[in-house]
Amino acid sequence: MYPVWQLPVAGSALVIAFIASFHILPSHLATSAFWFNVYVENKSYKENKPELLEFIKKYVLVILIFSFVFGSLSGVGIWYAITVSNPKGISAVIHNYVWGWASEWVFFIIEILAIYIYYYTLGKVDKKTHLTIGLIYAIGAWISMVIITGIIAFMLSPGQWLKTGGFFDGFFNPTYLPQLLMRTSHIFAIAGLYAIVVAGTLKNREVKSFIIKKASLWGMAGSVLAALFFKWYLWSLPNTAEELYKMNVLIPDIIPHVVAAAFIVLFVWFIVVWIRPQWARLIPGILAIFILFAGVFSAESIRERIRKPYVIDHYLYSNQIISNDMPSKNIKSNIGDIDREGILHYSYFVPEGLKTINNTNMLQAGEIIAQIECSACHTLESNGWLRPLPSMVEKAGLISVDTAQALIGFLNAFPFMPQFAGTVREKEALATYLVSLYPPGSKAAYAPELQRRSVSADHIKIVKLHR
Amino acid sequence: MNAGSMLKALQDPMGVPFYPLVFQVLLVFTFALHIIFVNLVIGGVFISIYSYFRSGDYYKNLSKAFARASTINLSLLIVLGVAPLLFMQVIYDPFWYTSNVLSAAWMLGIVFALMAAFSFSYVFYLKLNKDKKHIGTWGIAAFLLIILVGITMHAVSYQALFPEQWVKWYVNGSKVDLSGTILHAFELPRFLHFVVASFAITGIFMMLYSWYFKDRDDMDKSYLAWVGRAGAKMAVIFTVLQMVVGVWWLFSVPSDFQFYKNPVFIAAGVLAVLLLFVLIEAQSNPQKYTLPAAALAFMSVLGMTSAREALRVLYTGRYDYSVYNYKLNLSYGSTALFAVTFIMGIIVIGYMLTVVFKMGRSSKPVDLSSLKLRTWSVYLMIAWILMMVGIGIAIAS
Repeated sequence: MYPVWQLPVAGSALVIAFIASFHILPSHLATSAFWFNVYVENKSYKENKPELLEFIKKYVLVILIFSFVFGSLSGVGIWYAITVSNPKGISAVIHNYVWGWASEWVFFIIEILAIYIYYYTLGKVDKKTHLTIGLIYAIGAWISMVIITGIIAFMLSPGQWLKTGGFFDGFFNPTYLPQLLMRTSHIFAIAGLYAIVVAGTLKNREVKSFIIKKASLWGMAGSVLAALFFKWYLWSLPNTAEELYKMNVLIPDIIPHVVAAAFIVLFVWFIVVWIRPQWARLIPGILAIFILFAGVFSAESIRERIRKPYVIDHYLYSNQIISNDMPSKNIKSNIGDIDREGILHYSYFVPEGLKTINNTNMLQAGEIIAQIECSACHTLESNGWLRPLPSMVEKAGLISVDTAQALIGFLNAFPFMPQFAGTVREKEALATYLVSLYPPGSKAAYAPELQRRSVSADHIKIVKLHR
Repeated sequence: MNAGSMLKALQDPMGVPFYPLVFQVLLVFTFALHIIFVNLVIGGVFISIYSYFRSGDYYKNLSKAFARASTINLSLLIVLGVAPLLFMQVIYDPFWYTSNVLSAAWMLGIVFALMAAFSFSYVFYLKLNKDKKHIGTWGIAAFLLIILVGITMHAVSYQALFPEQWVKWYVNGSKVDLSGTILHAFELPRFLHFVVASFAITGIFMMLYSWYFKDRDDMDKSYLAWVGRAGAKMAVIFTVLQMVVGVWWLFSVPSDFQFYKNPVFIAAGVLAVLLLFVLIEAQSNPQKYTLPAAALAFMSVLGMTSAREALRVLYTGRYDYSVYNYKLNLSYGSTALFAVTFIMGIIVIGYMLTVVFKMGRSSKPVDLSSLKLRTWSVYLMIAWILMMVGIGIAIAS
């Protein structure tokens, strides 16, 4: 096991969520916009409307800066964030899909060269060449989505890969096609949405209304198709994921409601500006992008949640422990080894004095175990943002070490929780630590059960001092 | 557990999908491409600031040209950095991941530092073009942030080489440091070897600039000649300095590495000396020697990145770590996918570079519609998609 990094209060997983969510805005623009651009440029040449090129120049500059600086940096940022908060997770995906990513990188290079050349050669090369560069960009950007969707879908539903370990078996997995079609339709809607914002700032009224009318049609068509494919995607989910999707604890009702509301509001927006293009001003346009963000963020977070307790379904738990054997790649589950050796020995990055548990170090050992096995999804502080352990402990009523041990023993009875890995003694240490997190001042903390806890009065003192 | 067995235990059980040597070669090659753009950004931003503070039309032009080039180069640097980052994680995962976690806050910080650096340099470029006054702060802030990112990257790559120190850095008594707010190791000559090189490489870039635009009838010939001479002068001075730093660095690495017997180090040194000779020749007529100088500079950068890799092999070898012993789970299919994509990429990129090269050389619009590669590029990309559809159908049936 690698050492653990933790962002106080927020929790390291939220860092990934924060950067990844931001990345949605520029990356979707990068993938979508050029289909619209090429379409408009083509129209401008065919119908001899050179004034349309004014829009193109503006739109490309937005994409160039927003997508190719903030987009590519936040993309690298997601990667760094996963690297430092879940190194084994990113390592597993990379060791499987390195050639997929390397291929995607080739398309990144194609994209970035194409967009710069497109921008700087407008009016300086012949029309055919310029259109070709635009088309190369559009295809290249779409292909980068073709690749990354395969890898993201693989993590959720690896399908045959679990048996064969084959690259393409995992890539063309059960949720791949519906996800790809959903995202492909959606990017046309997104291209429309951004184009409306940019067109709203144009001075030429004719060009403005022409672009907005076309863009809103793209928006409506893309949205409807994406919604249909979203249904198919839900239908294609593996049974376990579908079960999780229906669980209220994991996915509060608000999340699917936000997705639906965003869809409706944006659809209405497309209709409104289609009828009244002059209403497409900058502020409502940007608001619409924020609504898009809320919708996409919620949809993506559903995917992240229904994958629990895994990083790669039925292979690697969120806490970086390999859950299942994989004979095709000659991999053994970590659980057996950890149960035998103990997680404190299995992990190299543990203070020497805590490797062997005794009555004086039990609490500290328990804390280290929680850092290693729980902190990927739970902050340890009571004021933490990410399913804080103290409030979990309170909800579960863990006021005695015995009850806590019993719960730890059956953790995987909750479909979204991994099983505990470690020795009996380590389970006791973790239980002791969990009980110590029981919110002080809470009524139950002074209940008679407290007297019966096997945790000594010293431990409680240590905990209070610790706070 | 000693450091050697820890490293073994940390390696990914998934293994690597092709022979590790291939990943190693790709790591060195793509890192060389990345670092050239790192050099161009450090040097380019510096030149544009320096020229901004000097007076005269030549300096004004140069400042504008390099402010613009630097924003483009910065975005290319980011995208080019993705590949070495990937290949590093494939064959050196225990080193890279541990070192990253130990300085996690810094590694995340550089993402934001780069965003700020780009924004500042872009503001600098925009204001420069509008001939605004007192804008030096924007450029300087961008420059300092870029150097900060360089320091972080250097420290994280360097501390990765000392696995026996990791636990000491991480554990403090019975507590562990979860914050990742400390950079644990730094080696000045190794770091300077990047920074000093930036000015040599940027000097050669100035020579290329002067050479490339020499036939444009709308550009001032004497200005271009001036840029070429300044570039050649800068290149030669900093190549000498770079060699001094290089020798300093080599004498600071553990003596048991015996670099003077290592063929990779010798080759890198020979290339650097050749480059120096060409640059000395180039002083009287920079444009004539631009292409050989550029080619040799590229080879020297490749030599330097190879030497860095050779050094990494030596450092990691101290813990019996060898990338060549990485567990193999051969995947011919996915390896072929990359090979095909790479070849296709070279053709499409080749086409686009041809377009921009021809366009930039002419002051009037050019007609390049008859280039055969134009349609081929699009066909190849469509063929790529069809290939994937074919594989998908084969897998599904």
